[in-house]
Amino acid sequence: MKNDNPISPHIQVYNWHISSLVSISHRITGVINYLLLIFTCFWVISLTFGSESYQYFKIFSESIVGKFFVIGFIWSYIFQILSEIRHWFWDMGYGFELRTTKITGVVVILGSFILTIVLYLFSGVVI
Amino acid sequence: MVQISLPKNSKIQKGKYFKDKTGSKNIRKVNIYRWDPSTSENPRIDTYEVDMDNCPSKVLDILNKIKNEIDPTIAYRRSCAHGVCGSCAMNMDGKNGLACTKSHAEIKGEINIYPLPHLKVLKDLIGDLSTLYKQYDSIKPWLKNSKNLGDAENLQSKEDRAKLDGLYECIMCACCSTSCPSYWWNGDKYLGPAVLLQAYRWIIDSRDEDRKERLKKVADELKLYRCHTIMNCTNACPKGLNPAKAIASIKKMLATS
Repeated sequence: MKNDNPISPHIQVYNWHISSLVSISHRITGVINYLLLIFTCFWVISLTFGSESYQYFKIFSESIVGKFFVIGFIWSYIFQILSEIRHWFWDMGYGFELRTTKITGVVVILGSFILTIVLYLFSGVVI
Repeated sequence: MVQISLPKNSKIQKGKYFKDKTGSKNIRKVNIYRWDPSTSENPRIDTYEVDMDNCPSKVLDILNKIKNEIDPTIAYRRSCAHGVCGSCAMNMDGKNGLACTKSHAEIKGEINIYPLPHLKVLKDLIGDLSTLYKQYDSIKPWLKNSKNLGDAENLQSKEDRAKLDGLYECIMCACCSTSCPSYWWNGDKYLGPAVLLQAYRWIIDSRDEDRKERLKKVADELKLYRCHTIMNCTNACPKGLNPAKAIASIKKMLATS
């Protein structure tokens, strides 16, 4: 066959389903979490050097950018954990019915936001 | 390789507009992907105004109507028109399915029809499935049995036969494989849901003696484990089968054997 035949459109025309949306988010949050380990390192380092150095971290985390960062961080981790639990069930062979995947997908999405809010408010109380 | 955007020669242009000539008041706009191999032009989207008062219920009926009454140059595969042969698999309203079983009343607004995604287009709505057929061939889709039974039947218990339910119904229409992003990006190496469901159909058959060899053959980072349970395959299957579950069953067998 000629090599210059066009390729039919794919991601441009294909509808998003809940399952595909959760799948790509799982990947993206996986990469983000990996990069955020660096952020966690700074956090731990600032703790080990005592309260003075921790002040810098505190100033940052209380700024608008910092808040966005921390909330994003929490969401990304929670999303990954919930989605991973869904994958565990799949690995054991459960939850493949279309209805179930839709429900668990929605649970992962909504759950990640709800738990983020809860955890952020709770952490605010603790700190 | 992940390539989100289409190559230059695949970019879609605006095509012709076929205005309704019947004077019908019940008109629907149908946008169809067109590409003519005899010209060097890019693919285009032609729009047809179709009189829905005189059109049966399925998307394939619309295509037949257009071909018979408006534009005979349009090319698409079709045969049985009853959801059995799998010829008229295409992308309708952003989802793969069989044009002969997809009701156009389910689609809101304009009807968009494309070939199955991420295939080399041969003409209009016809994609090239030869890679998929080669992959199907590679899993040796036939019973391997050395018993010499003469004229006797090769019997199977009811329970063993039941294991093939949800697998043997597959008509190889390729709706699932071409809905899978993993298959889009790695279609040359990853076997894809259709072929893996077929592979599982032979692995799980109690009469087959080649299970170990079959499992060994699919147990490959690219052939099997490119499945990330995106579930587009199961969402797309016009026969209501579950390729994602079949793939997971293969993975589970490999993990526990």
